[in-house]
Amino acid sequence: MIKFIQQLINGTSIGFVYALIAIGYSLIYSILSFSNFAHSTFIIAGAYTGFFLLTAVSLPLPFSLLGAIVGGILIAVFAEKVAYRPIRERGNPTLYFIIASMGMSIFGENIVIATIGPKFRSYPPILSVTAYQIGGISISVLDIMAAVVGSIFLLMLMYVVNKTRQGMAIRAAAFDLETVGLMGVNTNQLISLVFLVAGALAGLAGFFLGMKYTVFPQLGNLTMKAYVAAVFGGLGSLPGAVIGSVFLGIIETIIAGYFSSTLRDIFVFALLILVLLVRPSGLMGAKREDKV
Amino acid sequence: MSILKIEGLTKVFGGLTAVSNLNISIPQGRIYGLIGPNGAGKTTVFNMITGIYQPTRGIVEAEGKSLAGLKPNQIAQAGVARTFQNLRLFKKLTALENIIIAGQYNTKYNLVTAVLQNRAFKEEEKRLRQEALQLLDLVGLSEYAEYKASNLPYGHQRRLEIARALALKPKILLLDEPAAGMNPEESLALMGFIRDIKDKFGLTILLIEHHMEIVMGICEHIVVLNFGVEIAHGSPEEIQNNSEVITAYLGEVEKDDAAS
Amino acid sequence: MGYLLGIMTLICCNIIVVIGLSLLTGFTGIFSFGHAAYMAIGAYSAAILTTKLGVPFVLALIVAVMIAALAGRLIGIPTLKLVGDYFAIAMLGLGETVRLLLDNGGKLTGGARGFGNIPGKTAFPIAFVIMVFSVIVMRNIIGSRYGRCFLAIREDELAAECCGIDTYGLKKTSLTISAAFGGLGGALFAHYITYIQPIMFDMAKSTEIAAAVVFGGLGSLSGSIIASIILIGIPEVLRPLYQWRLVFYGLLLVGTIVLRPQGLMGGREFTIQGLKNAAQWVQEKIPGRGKGEKR
Ligand SMILES: Nc1ncnc2c1ncn2[C@@H]1O[C@H](COP(=O)(O)OP(=O)(O)OP(=O)(O)O)[C@@H](O)[C@H]1O
Ligand SMILES: [Mg+2]
Repeated sequence: MIKFIQQLINGTSIGFVYALIAIGYSLIYSILSFSNFAHSTFIIAGAYTGFFLLTAVSLPLPFSLLGAIVGGILIAVFAEKVAYRPIRERGNPTLYFIIASMGMSIFGENIVIATIGPKFRSYPPILSVTAYQIGGISISVLDIMAAVVGSIFLLMLMYVVNKTRQGMAIRAAAFDLETVGLMGVNTNQLISLVFLVAGALAGLAGFFLGMKYTVFPQLGNLTMKAYVAAVFGGLGSLPGAVIGSVFLGIIETIIAGYFSSTLRDIFVFALLILVLLVRPSGLMGAKREDKV
Repeated sequence: MSILKIEGLTKVFGGLTAVSNLNISIPQGRIYGLIGPNGAGKTTVFNMITGIYQPTRGIVEAEGKSLAGLKPNQIAQAGVARTFQNLRLFKKLTALENIIIAGQYNTKYNLVTAVLQNRAFKEEEKRLRQEALQLLDLVGLSEYAEYKASNLPYGHQRRLEIARALALKPKILLLDEPAAGMNPEESLALMGFIRDIKDKFGLTILLIEHHMEIVMGICEHIVVLNFGVEIAHGSPEEIQNNSEVITAYLGEVEKDDAAS
Repeated sequence: MGYLLGIMTLICCNIIVVIGLSLLTGFTGIFSFGHAAYMAIGAYSAAILTTKLGVPFVLALIVAVMIAALAGRLIGIPTLKLVGDYFAIAMLGLGETVRLLLDNGGKLTGGARGFGNIPGKTAFPIAFVIMVFSVIVMRNIIGSRYGRCFLAIREDELAAECCGIDTYGLKKTSLTISAAFGGLGGALFAHYITYIQPIMFDMAKSTEIAAAVVFGGLGSLSGSIIASIILIGIPEVLRPLYQWRLVFYGLLLVGTIVLRPQGLMGGREFTIQGLKNAAQWVQEKIPGRGKGEKR
């Protein structure tokens, strides 16, 4: 039982990190209708920026965390400006976005391998070692921080999306980008904003992942799981992305804990395919027939 | 006997009832019009007839056979062809290829003969090409056969899309705003064209259009939708004099003016 | 000489795989980032047949192609109902899954350490003839109604459906053919290299195949072929820069799509007539010669 509760807690904590990734991914999907595979690049940008600020520059933790966020933002906004905008302006099909984002994700991972190196690097053990013990269950400070900071950011985002003008424009754009543009909203700015938010969340997630595990070039591949979570919760639905992520985090930790971690990864994909087949719009996403 | 019959057709999107309990019955060889303000649900009716949307309720029958559960390609092959409000040509392909693609659904060769390129294959290909060229000629686009569809002038693209629908050898043709974006002269030419193809191919046509002079000019019967509900149907004269239709189109202000 | 011949054999094997993906991505508009999986299926099936079961090479090739095609068909049934991105994700998952299965295949596949002692049957002339044969088959498919249906699906799936095309069925056909070509390329590759490992068919390989298709120009068969020669040939010659290979592929994918989405060949085909036109164009550009100067 204790083991189970422990796994529940570990799963929730990793679930929060997935949620940070899944939300950004879901936001981009809802506006531009394609899976941004380059999200992995935003994550490693955050993770490595955080790592270098903590080690080489020895900045204190909060500033490094901030740096990681900025790292994520820079890459995300850059990717949007340099790659996605030209494709969008030419009115190319979704296929082109998918290919470009795949290309970026491969470029990102391998430029890190070629320049910084393929090695795993550990963050300095600032938080990860300290843990609270409650009745045989241990909760690390890092997990608490991930949950707290993650929640703060998610709540902030929900506020922005639901209560502000920009948020309204984003929601409207998710429904119909073209019309929103016709109504006088600067869609380029709006899309940049969405990438900024997605990049910030991805940078933050990268930082947490680096602290929790290590940093390595393939760290971004974890995005795959956030994709699954986002799809599971229903693409384009923000609460869905959070719930899907936490759910996936828990299930995954339990499978890894009781069975094996190979099985865990196969399970994640099996789940994805299953969800897509049974309910292509995800569990929480609205069922939608494309407008003709 | 009506060739296209719609009964109790309803479509609900989430909370929005886009089409509500619609009945239309078109006899063989007629041109019917479907009109209504923006968002009235006209295109949604076409999408349900062609199997793109699943109706929430109601039935569609073509030549006495129910189309329920058929996929769009099966409905197309069953003789119901359509055009789209926002042109959906195969843009990067030539005009000729656009037509051949629609005309080839009952081609008599398979993958193996296609690879071997035997006599049957070559003859079928020749036939497809000739039929497509004839059709292009008929719609007056033969000189554009090798042009990419996207490079054609806008009006010609509309014509090409109609020709593509005709290549399916349909019995029923659904035209969604064929005159959209055309000037009065072009619209007039289009009107003649629609009459022509109706006679040549023995078609029954259901037409959505905002250009009233076209609707009134060629439709024998008109159905008016507003917010998904049929508010009137009848001959062009009846529709033109129907106060409810005028209200729906012109809005409350005009009604007040008329009353005072 | 032997070295050069080796690279050329390798290029032939890869051309077959690349034109397979070209059909799926360039002509049908369906992107797959796990295409090395079909190559792996073909390679391992053929290798097991010849090495463990003593099946003659040609027969093994045929069976391997059939197995790969069947795999493509079966995988297509659920996944091709998905929209584009989800299909791409599913194929990524497939690529990894096939690799995991091979890694854990025990005696049958040799696991992660690999599968050796495969007879070296793929001599250059054989690879070349089969490659040419494959290109002709592919060209004929593309020139038939099937090819036109694929193009229609790429251009506008809904309009294609309304033109009487069973888009789901034809997408399955496209994937099946594509997988068959992948399997053939893989089977030939296994009998050239004589030793295969799951890692040879990893994400990097899938990337290489996809990069060749995109760089060659979506919808151009000859573009795919030329791009395969360039992309497979160059890294072999420039071994020292090996670790930059994927950086380059990534950049090539983004760069091509952003800067020149029509790719090397711009969706056109390489023909003798095209060559003549190009020559004429060059002549016109050279001052003092050709028609360009006569006004
Ligand atoms: N796939 C869909 N999902 C949700 N709502 C839809 C969908 N398709 C249509 N609608 C809604 O149904 C209503 C009717 O739309 P429809 O396109 O049928 O109108 P229309 O009469 O063709 O208008 P127009 O003259 O502007 O073309 C609109 O409110 C539209 O927003
Ligand atoms: Mg409409």
